[in-house]
Amino acid sequence: MKDSEIERLKGDLQATIRELSSTYEELSLLYKLSEEFAGLSVEEICDVMLSEITSLINVELAVILFWDEESESFLLKKSKGILDDSFIKGKLNSLFYESMKKPRPTVICHIKEKIEPFDFPVRSLLLIPFKGKKRLIGLLLVANKRDADEFFSGEIKLLQSITSLAGVFIENALLSEQMQEFLLGAIKAFVKALESTSAWTAGHTERVTEYSLAIGRLMNLSMDDLEKLRICALLHDIGKIATPNEILNKIGKLEEHEWREIRRHPIIGSDILSEMTQYIDVIQCIRYHHERYDGTGLLGLKGEQIPLFARILAVADAFDAMTSDRPYRKRFPVEKAVSEIARNAGKQFDPEVVKAFLKWVKSAYNIELPQSEVHS
Amino acid sequence: MSKKIMVIDDEPFILMMIEDKFKRAGLEVITLRESKDALDIIRREKPDLIILDWMMPEVSGIELCKLIKEDPDISSIPVFMLTAKGQEDDEKLGLRCGVDRYITKPFSPRMLLEVVLERLGD
Repeated sequence: MKDSEIERLKGDLQATIRELSSTYEELSLLYKLSEEFAGLSVEEICDVMLSEITSLINVELAVILFWDEESESFLLKKSKGILDDSFIKGKLNSLFYESMKKPRPTVICHIKEKIEPFDFPVRSLLLIPFKGKKRLIGLLLVANKRDADEFFSGEIKLLQSITSLAGVFIENALLSEQMQEFLLGAIKAFVKALESTSAWTAGHTERVTEYSLAIGRLMNLSMDDLEKLRICALLHDIGKIATPNEILNKIGKLEEHEWREIRRHPIIGSDILSEMTQYIDVIQCIRYHHERYDGTGLLGLKGEQIPLFARILAVADAFDAMTSDRPYRKRFPVEKAVSEIARNAGKQFDPEVVKAFLKWVKSAYNIELPQSEVHS
Repeated sequence: MSKKIMVIDDEPFILMMIEDKFKRAGLEVITLRESKDALDIIRREKPDLIILDWMMPEVSGIELCKLIKEDPDISSIPVFMLTAKGQEDDEKLGLRCGVDRYITKPFSPRMLLEVVLERLGD
């Protein structure tokens, strides 16, 4: 073999190895991101995207724009780097729009004159459209590379890999967020139907939800758990749909058999919801939200045997019941209701939940609590 | 003096890829396609860091690592292990054998260089 031929082969091999190396970069990035993106919200996916992109490429600005079909405009979703607040707000920029419609990235380098819609000097600009399987998601914009005047094909390819993977995950996350919204909407409609049959229950569910979430936040529940707690609180009295209206709306004291009827609502509620198999913890919470911490409740569950959501709900529910008018009695002043709950810590209620409740009620109602109650 | 890295893998393209990337970063690289005589070469060359592939014919990466860690002359050399995806359970075994760090294939050459430089900087 001639020397020149050997040199040429060496060169080819070198090029092949570099190519392989960049393929390896891309592969490992995709592996890593597909693990990271799984289960994240749209916001979180965008955060991961931007931090990954800015670690790959040294730019002054990286922006994710979402295309809003309805308003036919771009929404600034997330950005990293220098950016004026007025950037892109509400306007349809033709450069962005054209770039999004193209299948390939738009690269503009060595920019000398000012370009719309930037109100700061842009030297280099890369726009990558991204979409899910069915719909356009938006545009990734990176501008002003710090260490060079141009974007290289290897970098662009990596950024494209990130956006195309992220596009699919974002589309799924959007769908699941829509489903969640739909579910919450359906649940709220359900609750409205329940509350419309009894004037005095109106607003009860909403308030119990508010109180439960306040307690849950102070107990450091995760976002996922708080969402479940919200559903528990919204549905907690759904079993009352089966309680005869003349009992629910009775004016004056209830007879023993009428109380028995009302006390069944957690069980009826959990039975009604038993088809929602994905929400087994919600169903359990509803079933046990009138259990007593000391084990003397209807079903006899005790302490930690009662699901945490149910223990939170029990306090929130009792607080609202005591501070609302009932057909058979007037409402208690807040201070009296609070001291009732504090007195029952360890008996009817979980002391840890009561602790969080007292902390919340103190700041929400701006009331001073006796020291013994704060520490109970 | 530039640091010396030894890479042992039976896949030639992996070796070439690592060699190319590391040499451009100013490291000295020794590559081996077979593990059977590796121990002697390690004893002779005393590299600053060793990268081993887990799956190799004859002597596996994990066996070689054990032998390295049993020899007081070379036991302090950090060992990085390349493994295929889905061998995470085996990692516990490897960590007991003295593996300093795992790199999952397909790895990013850029990240590999970063972690190697980070380790050498210690």
